[in-house]
Amino acid sequence: MKVTFPHMGNAWIVIQTLFESLNVEVVVPPTNSKQTLNLGTRLSPESACLPLKLNLGNYVEAADKGADTIVITGGIGPCRFGLYGEMERQILRDAGYDYEVVILEPPDGSLLGLFKRIRYLAGTQNSWTQILKALRFAYRKSVALDRVEDLIHAARARLPQHMETEKLYEDAKRQLALTMTDAGLRETVRRVQESIRERLREVNRAEGPKEPLRIGIIGEIYTILDPYTSGDVEQYLGRLGVEVDRSIYLSGWTGNHVFQGLAPGYRSIKSYPRHAKPYLPHFVGGHGQETVGAAVKFAREGFDGIIQIFPLTCMPEIVAASVLPQVQEAYKVPIMTLIVDEHTGQAGIQTRLEAFVDLLERASLQRVIGQTGGEVLSVGGR
Amino acid sequence: MKIGFPRALYYFDYFPFWAGFFYRLGIEVITSPPTHRQIMEQGLKKASDETCLPLKLMAGHIQALTNVDAVFLPRMVSVEENTYSCPKFLGIPETLLPAVPLGIPVLSVVLNWRKSKRQILKDLQDFGIQLGKNRTEIRKAFIEGQAWQKRYEDSKGAGWDFEDSLREIERATKGLTMSQSTPIHSSIPAKDKDIDRLRISLVGHSYLTLESYANLDILRRLREKAEVELTEHVNQEEVNAHLLGLRKKLFWSHAKQIYGSGNKFVKDPQVDGVIYLSCFGCGTDSMVQEMLARIAREQHKPYMVVTLDEHSGEAGLVTRLEAFLDMVERRKIHEGNVSTYGERLDRDSNTL
Repeated sequence: MKVTFPHMGNAWIVIQTLFESLNVEVVVPPTNSKQTLNLGTRLSPESACLPLKLNLGNYVEAADKGADTIVITGGIGPCRFGLYGEMERQILRDAGYDYEVVILEPPDGSLLGLFKRIRYLAGTQNSWTQILKALRFAYRKSVALDRVEDLIHAARARLPQHMETEKLYEDAKRQLALTMTDAGLRETVRRVQESIRERLREVNRAEGPKEPLRIGIIGEIYTILDPYTSGDVEQYLGRLGVEVDRSIYLSGWTGNHVFQGLAPGYRSIKSYPRHAKPYLPHFVGGHGQETVGAAVKFAREGFDGIIQIFPLTCMPEIVAASVLPQVQEAYKVPIMTLIVDEHTGQAGIQTRLEAFVDLLERASLQRVIGQTGGEVLSVGGR
Repeated sequence: MKIGFPRALYYFDYFPFWAGFFYRLGIEVITSPPTHRQIMEQGLKKASDETCLPLKLMAGHIQALTNVDAVFLPRMVSVEENTYSCPKFLGIPETLLPAVPLGIPVLSVVLNWRKSKRQILKDLQDFGIQLGKNRTEIRKAFIEGQAWQKRYEDSKGAGWDFEDSLREIERATKGLTMSQSTPIHSSIPAKDKDIDRLRISLVGHSYLTLESYANLDILRRLREKAEVELTEHVNQEEVNAHLLGLRKKLFWSHAKQIYGSGNKFVKDPQVDGVIYLSCFGCGTDSMVQEMLARIAREQHKPYMVVTLDEHSGEAGLVTRLEAFLDMVERRKIHEGNVSTYGERLDRDSNTL
């Protein structure tokens, strides 16, 4: 049995660790690319949402590397992600890929069924204690990964050498993927921290400390966690000198979704529904309510702008998107919505991001010099 | 007190329940007129761009509700156990708030059959306080509503016309005159219902198949040339029986109806062709349509998907319908005995 799984940003590092510590052979599909998307789009129903298309692309590419079993989480709605596993199984079977699909969910609410599926994946040589231990280590790794990512978010906006920051990030990810001890995790996070602090000191000495604009990224989890899907929004904003924060981090999601709230994760998503209450008091599936809650939270924390990203036709996010104008009005914070699908071009996203950042910069500049727009001469004199 | 009920979305399935509920409470229910051009245009202005056609129509219908004391927008989370409505249904009271005319309050209540009946009653009773009704009154109204809903659902199995049965319900609610709307679908003379006519099944959300303005009167157009069966005509037992083969249960109530009935139609040798009526951006259809298409391919059943949006043109639809019906007819008459050799030819074809 060679297990594979769909990509979602850095999730592969955690999933790979999980299976390897259980001695299950795992095939990490090649990272999401144009090729992945093309392969997936060819097999998918036209109006399916983007993650399904990328997932299928991942499986096709993983099949070339010998994978024969797919692991994916499930759900019982109302977001259509709950049907992904079954849908993908049918599509792949018709396309001639002989995959076994294991959906990690309690089938018809039966926990025993879920345990059977986990047992099937883990094989007979692992005890439940070992499985639990592996799960907990994978979870700790995802927290470390999120911490590194957050540090990089801050570093991108402040350090002038963009490529060095990216290199630091890639190195840290590689180290995290390889390490199998808690000490290794701590060491990696510490090294990233140190190296950023050192570089920052040099920059500050040369130019003085800089207060970058802050933008909150909210929206559908796959599109905000996966840089390929969102057209590298976070990296690009970082290059424009903007500090980015995100509503959902990988471990926050697993803590809530997989461990049912037993583990908080990095940046827990638990508080969002409370924040969303005045605007969307009921959950709407997926992360619709969380999106609205995160927007309110970011606005309260004084973020300069908010960007919502979701795949075309995503139902929960459409609900959130139609509520967000009220948040925008109430907190006077600009909110931009980016909708992505297989036809989204990098240049289009970049243009919109640049325009959005320009708009925010102008607003904050005007706050500093105490002027409000309207006077032609004031613009000319500046 | 006069409560406005927009003639869109859940109107087509659950209006009888709410009509019975309010009838018992002595509250007058005003429905918006059948969709016309202006309603659609108003709706497009107020609803968000990304949302689907039925929701945009709903926004239009809300604006068409004039001289009412309040607009009623229930949050229909779930209408049967272990299912959900579409996520967009769950957010209706908030997302369509901009469409409600200024000064008219919105009444909303959560209806969630995933929870116990007692919880539903409790939610309704909390809502009743807003209306100034006590708990016993609400309980009686709830029972009345369920009875109306049951009667309506039973009648559909017997082949009743949707418009007819609803008209009956509306006649029962006090102070409601439906005289302005002329009968729409009752125009098929009985003599036309002979055996030679094609039998076409139209599956899709009730708020599309029965919304004759938005679907460009597809039902009438089809009925001119063929016998038409709808998702609603399949009774619940049959729907459930045809859901059994699924490895993973569907969790949307509408999708269950559509898939169950579609599965029945596709496997029914009496049915000559299946048309799936969908709308652009429908999340549940994107999955269910694909699943049905797969069975249709296996069963060699003519199958067509019509996707509606606010830009749908009549000529385009008519051409497609004619082509489809011609194809089905031709197949029925000329290709009754396809050789086993021919079967291999179209095994992987999408067009069948």
